[in-house]
Amino acid sequence: MTRVIEVPTHFDDRSFEQFAAGFGNWPPEEKVLVDARGAQWASPYGLIGMLTAGQAIAEAKGERPLLTVPTTDEVKRYWARIGFFRHAAELFELHGRVPKASASGPSDVLLDVTPVRAMEDVHQVVEKITETASKILHGELGLERNATMRFSMALSESCQNIVEHAGTGGWVAVQVYTFRRRLGRRVAVIAVSDGGVGFRRSLESTHAKRFGERWGDGAALEAALIQGVSRFRDPGRGQGLAGIKGFLDRWKGKISIRSGTARLSIVPAWDDDLPLADHLAFFPGAQVQITIPAQEADSR
Amino acid sequence: MIETIRIGHLLREATSSPYRNLVTRPTGVAVRNRIEDALSRSDCLTALLDFSDIELLDFSCADEIVAKLLLTQASQRRRFMVLRGLRDDQHEAIEQVLRHHRLAVVAMVHGDEPLLLGWVSPDAREAFACMPRTGPSAPSDLARALGWPEPRMRAALDALALLLLIRPEDGWYHPLLVA
Repeated sequence: MTRVIEVPTHFDDRSFEQFAAGFGNWPPEEKVLVDARGAQWASPYGLIGMLTAGQAIAEAKGERPLLTVPTTDEVKRYWARIGFFRHAAELFELHGRVPKASASGPSDVLLDVTPVRAMEDVHQVVEKITETASKILHGELGLERNATMRFSMALSESCQNIVEHAGTGGWVAVQVYTFRRRLGRRVAVIAVSDGGVGFRRSLESTHAKRFGERWGDGAALEAALIQGVSRFRDPGRGQGLAGIKGFLDRWKGKISIRSGTARLSIVPAWDDDLPLADHLAFFPGAQVQITIPAQEADSR
Repeated sequence: MIETIRIGHLLREATSSPYRNLVTRPTGVAVRNRIEDALSRSDCLTALLDFSDIELLDFSCADEIVAKLLLTQASQRRRFMVLRGLRDDQHEAIEQVLRHHRLAVVAMVHGDEPLLLGWVSPDAREAFACMPRTGPSAPSDLARALGWPEPRMRAALDALALLLLIRPEDGWYHPLLVA
């Protein structure tokens, strides 16, 4: 038997739930086919979510999953340019013609799909983003002149969470695109995902008791994002997410973290997302999306 | 005596690379160890940490370097610590981690104007702002300038001195000089 999981036509953090629900129990008992033929667009969150699924199946010693590539040439070319197929080929048996990635990426990709396995990778990611992001963040999105540094700090802290807490590697990608449906403005989006232990297991030994029966994926996310706790006893820990929240407050940005069966978001006025979505389909590890909108003309 | 420590130089030594970005906790620990090593060989009264070669300072490194260094120094030899060459985003990272630990440090900004980063009481902050940039101050003069009773000013100055943000000597209080 093969379990077919259809990639949503428009694959973003919202439609990710449809994708996650397709897997049923983790790890899936059947061979998995991720069917992306009908995909018309995928956000960085969607793309690295697919890689995370492939990684988690491999780490659970599951059968190598299949992935059918999009039929639309433009979509295929884009996925190739952002580096998706290069990494997907290591995790999936690819079906369909995959175009070669062009030498230079599209200008709206600030960071192509990049694996994060060690602290050295965080250095590389930060080096790359500080070289490329300034023109877009200041020039196109209207953030303050030195916003690149704050943006890079947010990226650095998000990636470090993978290395320190996931117990396995993960992925990061950064892109700029127009957020038509919810905002009607350009946004810079940082997406980070891993297939590791997730927030609940990471924090369980140090914080579960305090929450009693309330303890679960949602409570663990609340502890980390709202209360700034960490699994480490070091009182200096847990400040990365607090710092990111500070920047997002200034930029009217959004952070959303999904882990296990819950997703917690700090929702700005322009969005209608739920602050806490619980009892979702299980998906391994943690997925973070940070969205920074172009600043409105009067705030520039 | 003032010991100037160039953080960019230590970063390049610690990572054996041309990085100018202070990111990740292991990097912060490696740089802090080198600072502590340099200070252990110095008799200086004031350590001036120069960040001017640094591009990015994330929260993890701000915590590992500045906060942990202040915590360590407080429990070992009492030495004054001053930061220089910080940009706005770097101030913010340090400000946040020091407030979290209820610590404070003096940073020289915009042409060596002293700025308090971190947590001090409102009275201590106001007293610090009122102090002349050079030369000692008497509590009675500062109390008069702010219209405070002298014991209130003395308490504020003692709090600053306890955090090694000013230097008390013979009943006078001196700003930390780095020139």
